Amino acid sequence: MLTQKVFLRKTKRGNILKIVREHYLREDIGCGSVACGRCDSESTRPLQKDFESASKVVEHAHYIVPDTNIVLHQIDVLKDEAFRNVIVPQTVIQELRHRHAPAYNSIREMLAIEERHFYCFVNEHHKDTYVERLPGESANDRNDRAIRRVVGYLQSHLAEQGLSIEVVLLTNDRECLNSAKKEGLTAFSLKEYVGGMGKPELLDKISIDADGSSEGDPVTNKKKFMYPEHLTPIALQAGIKSGRLRSGKFMASRDNYLEGFVCLGDNEDESDRVLIQGLMNLNRAVQDDTVVVEILPESEWVCPSSVVLEDEPEEDDKVDEEDDDGDEVEREKKVEKALKESKTEKGVEKMPTGKIVGILKRKWRPYCGILAPSAIKEATKHLFVAAERKIPKIRIETRQAAALTGKRIVVAIDSWPRHSRYPLGHYVRTLGDIGDRKVENQVLLLEHDIPHQPFSQAVLNCLPKMPWLITPLDESKRQDFRSVPTCSVDPPGCTDIDDALHARSLPNGNFEIGVHIADVSHFIRPHTALDREAATRGTTVYLVDQRIDMIPDLLSSNLCSLISDVDRFAFSAVFEMTEDAKVVGAKYCKSIIRSKNSFTYAEAQARIDDKARKDEVTEGLRVLNSLAKKMKLKRMENGALNLASSEVRFQVDSETHDPIDVKTKELLEVNSMVEEFMLLANKSVAEFIYNELSHCALLRRHPVPPVGNFDPLVRAAATRGFDIQVDCGKHLADSLDRASIDTDPFFNTMLRMVATRCMSQAIYFCSGTIAKEDFLHYGLALPFYTHFTSPIRRYSDLIVHRLLAVAIGADATYPELLDKVRVQNLCNNLNYRHKMAQYAGRASVTLYTQIYFRDKNVLEDGYILFVRENALQVLLPKYGMECTLYVKDKPGGQQRIKVPFTYDAEKCTQTAGDVTLRQFERITVRVSLDRTNIQHQKLVVELVRPHIPGFSVDIEKPMEVDEPRNDGEPEKKKTRAV
Amino acid sequence: MANLAVSDSEKTFIIHGVEDNLRCDGRGCLDYRHIELELGAAPNCSGSSHVRIANTDVLVGIKAEIAAPDHAAPDRGRIEFFVDLTANADPEFEGTGGDELGQQIAGALAEAYVSKRFLDLSSLCIVKNQQVWVLFVDILILELGGSLYDAVSIAVKAALYDLRIPKLTVSIGEDGKPEIEVSDDPHTQEPLAIANVPCFVTLSKIGSQFVVDVSQEEAECSTVNMCCAIAPNGRMATTMKTGVGSLHPDSLIEALQLAQEIGVALHKALHKQFVKAQELSGRTNGFLL
Amino acid sequence: MSGHQYLSEEGFRVDGRRAQEMRKLDCSLGVFAQADGSAYVKEGNTVVLAAVYGPHEVRGGRVKALHDRAVVNCQFSAATFSTAERKRRPRGDTKSVEMTLHLQQTFETAILTKLYPRCQIDIFVEVLQADGSILSVAINAATMALVDAGIGLRDYVCACSAGVFNDAALLDLNNLEESQKGTGLTVAILPKTERIVLVDMSSKIHSDHVSKTIEAAIEGCKDIHATFDAKIKERVGRLAALINTEN
Repeated sequence: MLTQKVFLRKTKRGNILKIVREHYLREDIGCGSVACGRCDSESTRPLQKDFESASKVVEHAHYIVPDTNIVLHQIDVLKDEAFRNVIVPQTVIQELRHRHAPAYNSIREMLAIEERHFYCFVNEHHKDTYVERLPGESANDRNDRAIRRVVGYLQSHLAEQGLSIEVVLLTNDRECLNSAKKEGLTAFSLKEYVGGMGKPELLDKISIDADGSSEGDPVTNKKKFMYPEHLTPIALQAGIKSGRLRSGKFMASRDNYLEGFVCLGDNEDESDRVLIQGLMNLNRAVQDDTVVVEILPESEWVCPSSVVLEDEPEEDDKVDEEDDDGDEVEREKKVEKALKESKTEKGVEKMPTGKIVGILKRKWRPYCGILAPSAIKEATKHLFVAAERKIPKIRIETRQAAALTGKRIVVAIDSWPRHSRYPLGHYVRTLGDIGDRKVENQVLLLEHDIPHQPFSQAVLNCLPKMPWLITPLDESKRQDFRSVPTCSVDPPGCTDIDDALHARSLPNGNFEIGVHIADVSHFIRPHTALDREAATRGTTVYLVDQRIDMIPDLLSSNLCSLISDVDRFAFSAVFEMTEDAKVVGAKYCKSIIRSKNSFTYAEAQARIDDKARKDEVTEGLRVLNSLAKKMKLKRMENGALNLASSEVRFQVDSETHDPIDVKTKELLEVNSMVEEFMLLANKSVAEFIYNELSHCALLRRHPVPPVGNFDPLVRAAATRGFDIQVDCGKHLADSLDRASIDTDPFFNTMLRMVATRCMSQAIYFCSGTIAKEDFLHYGLALPFYTHFTSPIRRYSDLIVHRLLAVAIGADATYPELLDKVRVQNLCNNLNYRHKMAQYAGRASVTLYTQIYFRDKNVLEDGYILFVRENALQVLLPKYGMECTLYVKDKPGGQQRIKVPFTYDAEKCTQTAGDVTLRQFERITVRVSLDRTNIQHQKLVVELVRPHIPGFSVDIEKPMEVDEPRNDGEPEKKKTRAV
Repeated sequence: MANLAVSDSEKTFIIHGVEDNLRCDGRGCLDYRHIELELGAAPNCSGSSHVRIANTDVLVGIKAEIAAPDHAAPDRGRIEFFVDLTANADPEFEGTGGDELGQQIAGALAEAYVSKRFLDLSSLCIVKNQQVWVLFVDILILELGGSLYDAVSIAVKAALYDLRIPKLTVSIGEDGKPEIEVSDDPHTQEPLAIANVPCFVTLSKIGSQFVVDVSQEEAECSTVNMCCAIAPNGRMATTMKTGVGSLHPDSLIEALQLAQEIGVALHKALHKQFVKAQELSGRTNGFLL
Repeated sequence: MSGHQYLSEEGFRVDGRRAQEMRKLDCSLGVFAQADGSAYVKEGNTVVLAAVYGPHEVRGGRVKALHDRAVVNCQFSAATFSTAERKRRPRGDTKSVEMTLHLQQTFETAILTKLYPRCQIDIFVEVLQADGSILSVAINAATMALVDAGIGLRDYVCACSAGVFNDAALLDLNNLEESQKGTGLTVAILPKTERIVLVDMSSKIHSDHVSKTIEAAIEGCKDIHATFDAKIKERVGRLAALINTEN
């Protein structure tokens, strides 16, 4: 059967086209039930035959059909194991696909899990369930009707066969519910249905609809608390077009809940920001939302306050009584007024100020946090405090408040109606106890938006079947390096070995250097679930004691990993180099290798140093090492920067997994040896793929930082009488080399750390999207650079592998790979994921540092890395960590510091009395952990030496906490390196 | 086909027949051949029709597009005609062979539709001076069997009857530029008022008689053709003499009066056909299948 | 997520077909009396009318005439309203000229031109509605018109388009599927011998996918052949019956 779909479409040029498409209606679409004897026997049938009713509201076993809004808003409920035998109409899937990608992905995931018995019924192409839109009917109504038709059809389809399985519609839409009942269908609201399931925690997960339809409590008109109405989307667009309104990303202030900024440009540029102050002007914007702002007349502009304001509900917090919102308005007004007054005094420069008039796109996500303590334990309405300080408190409903106190929970925002002081949300799940290392780790992952779920079945299905064997066909297509003495060098404990090296002499006196990289693209094919998952994850994330893999373990630690003594596929870059490290030839090929040894850095170094060893592998390492030194020298001559940052490793207790010691990472010669060859391979591949596929190559660039960025560096060096030239990379590198003090070897390192802070972030990009001059990698001083050498842990490298394979004709291409827009979109995600992975890594170190200092109170040597107006940035080299030592009280906060400090911005000093604290100066501090805020513990440093009376702590006095161990010597426990 | 050879005796036979009000196919002088009519023949058009009079086969598709109005008429929509004589109809038309005749017919149509008495285009105005609907009336001649003007004008009127204009909501943006939104409900489209749209009635003089809807053989015998665009109320939109030949002023008056009478009757008959065709629209495969 | 899912997880295309399913095919022969042969072919929403004139004397002077075989003259033209957005002109644009050339080459191979020395055979193809696979439908319509005209052919020429989406071959692409970049080709074969008379790739397609896609397209051509053959046999049978009753 056939029908036509006719609709109108507006073109970009403003024309209106009539589009006619065929729409086939079929007879071969099965109902999906094992019980059915009528439908095509070959069709898939995930729905069960014999099972219990999941909810008391329905007597018989039944299949559940949710409508679009249930799947869209209540996905947290549907994800529960209790929901099985669910029929998802295609209408729902299609609507989700267009409206909400995360919900779409979730439902797809559930459809893939066999045990859940979810089935997608293709109703839009079924001859008995297709419905035509009626005159005057809205698209939504039509879809609702289509879903009801599915229920009706399946109900009678099963009943006609004498089966006692019912079909139940779940909808929260009151009209739809009524229509369904009128049509004689079994239908429930989600609340009714879940109410019969006997799982109270599921009720908590039900999302509150903005119009209160799931709640059933009509909006009372006595509410006094009202936000200004948001403008309609049309009015917003019109305003933006005319330039009267501006759109941008909302960034809430971390410290002041009544303040935020809107970044107008695409880049989060400081200069193009609008200040928003006051609840009414913030008008329900939440961090990262895309909002529309109206800029106030210049006379109303204000300056950002430096006050710290936490949104503390009144003492006798009665959040469950809607009334108190009204009182709060009054209180809020007072606070705001005080805020304004506090500023006018100071006379700081005013900045453009505006009010938010509408929201284009919400960027809500599930938030981690805790339940605010509530006076009434039996109350069902509670406030939730997110771990991220930029997120407002969220009002949720829960019947398990008592059980949730002291737990980290996840909450999602459902809506933020005008009459509600706080956004409304629902409980999603409990992570565990506050302060628990595992739980905090999870919080860290969630807050950095790092996908860390176990790989789905669909992804695992893409893995090769074990045992995996190399076939003669594979051998015929690949170069055989199995007899070549190849080895890998990695940090200890590394299981995902990306790279292996070999070196051998050639008859002409040159050397053949092989850089063998794991051939991940052989296993991860485009368009598979595995590929999509890896692209989403973008990178493997390394936390202190955990690794969140980009690809499943079977690949990352086994089939792809270039383990010693087994045959592995590699993508090899083979270079011919002269004795003075000049590359005279390069070729790329897919290969098979057999690594002789998997060394750690220390082992490899020992081999090289052990003069007695003369075996092939060791000789190869020596060749590599000597070439690498020459290569590094050349690179430095070309103006590559040698920057510093501190990295630490924790020693972790093998039983409790708590950190018991920290060590900064030691750098050996071999570290830099491996690095040199990786750089060489990356650089060569970048050039090669750019030449072959110039419009779609994925490259990495490091933009030249604006000269102004270097001001802190220049000033810092000037305090010690050094002149840093920043006009080009070469001069910068040279002048950094010159700036060293023999008596203070750490000075140069610190200077390089400061230089690192001046740099911009290196990013991935698609070569077709920007001008060739901008491809430059500033830090490495290379015109082309990319990432090729770590495909197991970086998706960018995987794409580069595919591009290289296409360029040498070793593999097939696919349209997305050659589409520069798609590649650029991919780059954007990768850049985001890399940034988040980096932040998460740092947060993980911070977390471990905090746990390490939990019961300690120690004296440490520190260096003043920066001198700021109200604080000193203190570097503790032993822990590779920085702390802030406040020398002035935060304005508006408690007055605790009684000694006045004078700040000299030119010389970078803080002076109190006769003591002057200078940048890069060595000081002694006491480190302890401040645990007063259970969500935000922080390390506190206090000055010990030099001694400033009234400011420095007196170490002679007994400590409040444990006796400090003199220098934090690790306990003699079983330790394990991570 | 253009190069049709008709012998003198055949011609005489035809002329004599006409004198007796009996034509070769059995019709009287003022009878039309059977008109087959189908609406919605090209579904991807805003309005379309397919008309077949004996061997003359015409397909019309109208596409409504948004564009700027004429400076002379800033508050009215526009209508543009394009006639494509396909090589299907006659190999002579291959390439650009049919362009001249096509332009001639398009010109005649434009002239007949020019007055707003016959087709009021003000309803096609979206935003005065800025945006109006333009109706592109594309006429495809698939086969030629005489009476081309009449068939074309009937097909055009049928397509206009079938025409549905999308309903728009216009909001004026703050910059003064209109923002056009189209309703997503396909049922809200509106028809065009076509009650006064004229059709061509071509009268051919064979011997001393005027004859309508001549076949190609009869056309060879006619001395002169008068083509009049007649509105349903009998008003005449335009008139022209086509082809070679001359006629007496008295004959002209006679022809015009005749055309008027025939035109009025034709419109009545057509309207009934339209209603019938509308019901069948989209449900049949069309009479080509 | 936006854009279309050309093949859903459930295995359906946007219009509800499965990957290797053809669109609904209708055809009718002898739709016009004037032409020596004519055919109307409707494949889904792509509608093509073909007319054949000849064999007749070579038009436009004898110079063009070939002493040993017939001149095959083709014209591809598309109604200005055939596409969603109105075309400016029906023929003479690059695309039409290219199509004309494809038709010409295909049918010079397929027609037994040696049977008609010094003659001309005209094939005029008119696209009335365009919804993808125009070239293949045009070839199919022209074949039917030639059969209707009684011109001697080596075999039917059957054409079908195919594309690759996420490694699955899709048959008989509609306009929406064709608009997806980088993956479509048209194949025309002589079904009896399965020889390919035309392969047209309008966009890039990776060599690894080519053979798979062509194979799929050939299967589609065979399907079309079966439909056409049945149609012709039925028509001839009916005409024969008419002749018998007249006798």
